Amino acid sequence: MLRRLLLLTLFTGVAGPLAAAPITFNTALPVATGEFVFREQGVLLQSGNDPGPADRDRSERTAVTALGYGLARRLALFGVLPYRSIRLKLSSGDRRLNRNSEGIGDLRLFGRYTLWQANRPGRTLRFAPFFGVEAPTGEDRERDGQGTLPPAAQPGSGSWDPFAGAVVTFQTLRYQIDAQLAYQDNRKANDFEAGDLARLDASLQYRLWPGSLGGGVPDYLYGVIESNLFYRRKDRVAGLSDRNSGGSQWFLSPGLQYVTRRWIVEAAAQIPVWQDLNGTALENDYILRAGVRVNF
Amino acid sequence: MRMRILSVLLTLFMAQNVLAAGSRYVMRVDGMACPFCAYGIEKKLGAIDGVQNVDVDLGKSRVTVDVTEGTTLGEEQMKKLFEDAGFSYRGMSVDQR
Repeated sequence: MLRRLLLLTLFTGVAGPLAAAPITFNTALPVATGEFVFREQGVLLQSGNDPGPADRDRSERTAVTALGYGLARRLALFGVLPYRSIRLKLSSGDRRLNRNSEGIGDLRLFGRYTLWQANRPGRTLRFAPFFGVEAPTGEDRERDGQGTLPPAAQPGSGSWDPFAGAVVTFQTLRYQIDAQLAYQDNRKANDFEAGDLARLDASLQYRLWPGSLGGGVPDYLYGVIESNLFYRRKDRVAGLSDRNSGGSQWFLSPGLQYVTRRWIVEAAAQIPVWQDLNGTALENDYILRAGVRVNF
Repeated sequence: MRMRILSVLLTLFMAQNVLAAGSRYVMRVDGMACPFCAYGIEKKLGAIDGVQNVDVDLGKSRVTVDVTEGTTLGEEQMKKLFEDAGFSYRGMSVDQR
């Protein structure tokens, strides 16, 4: 029953890295050849209001570490590794159980290729497909006093899950727009297969400060609003479809981003504005993100 | 008379310093729109021997590079450098400082 929660955890690992980018997904902006960029993001994910009898309450705190490297003029490689702390509370009969775990999650490795770009004075338009895999680096057979933890409480999935997508970015001196379409093909492990995930994201970053540009390279304060639309297929347990899993969710994410030449600090709240999940699948209450990116 | 000689010597000394200070390249670069992306340009230019100062002006899509005497920056070299950083080099002018 608890396995349908697993896909909720995907949210913590899919935030794209680097550049002056959206907070909740990727960008097509460049990583200079031979240069590294680093990102650390803290994520707090809260789910409750269980429509089922188990009265589930799930919270997860994740530190997501990302590193990007400009391998060639148009090709950048990225690695994203989460460290996850999961707390799952639920009722079983008269008892209230805590099913907790902590450890590194699944490592996401992917490459992004800038297929097309058009640069003009003070603006750029870029299109970049990406492709990668989520490797099963996280523990997927964690146990506690009640036995093996359900997938929703495991730090890792146990499966190699390929994903692909494309992102387009239009950046000017005043604002930046990003849009992404991505799909993740989740595979089976431990007789469980999480439903595939499709997502459509959009972001607007608008320079709030300074109002007008002087000379040089001033710091920017961006106001950010992002939209994340997720569609998940149903999970499969022992080859059978779980009717209490999968569905659609739409989040709006207001945030702020302070950008300098060497670093960026940022924060956003992902608020669910529409959730249409199957059966008793657990909805999200909110997701909070805060992080820093560094050029070096 | 002594003042005139001093003045001529001082002028010659200053002129020599100006020539020894090298050249200033002003480059037009497209695609630069945010501070975080500009850092890659500064780093790559700063790694060239003889580059003394790099000044990126986002609003004017302009990069100014001061180099020491004897250091030259070529068109092809700059085109590759800016493309490696993710931007488009459009041209440059050079002046003696």
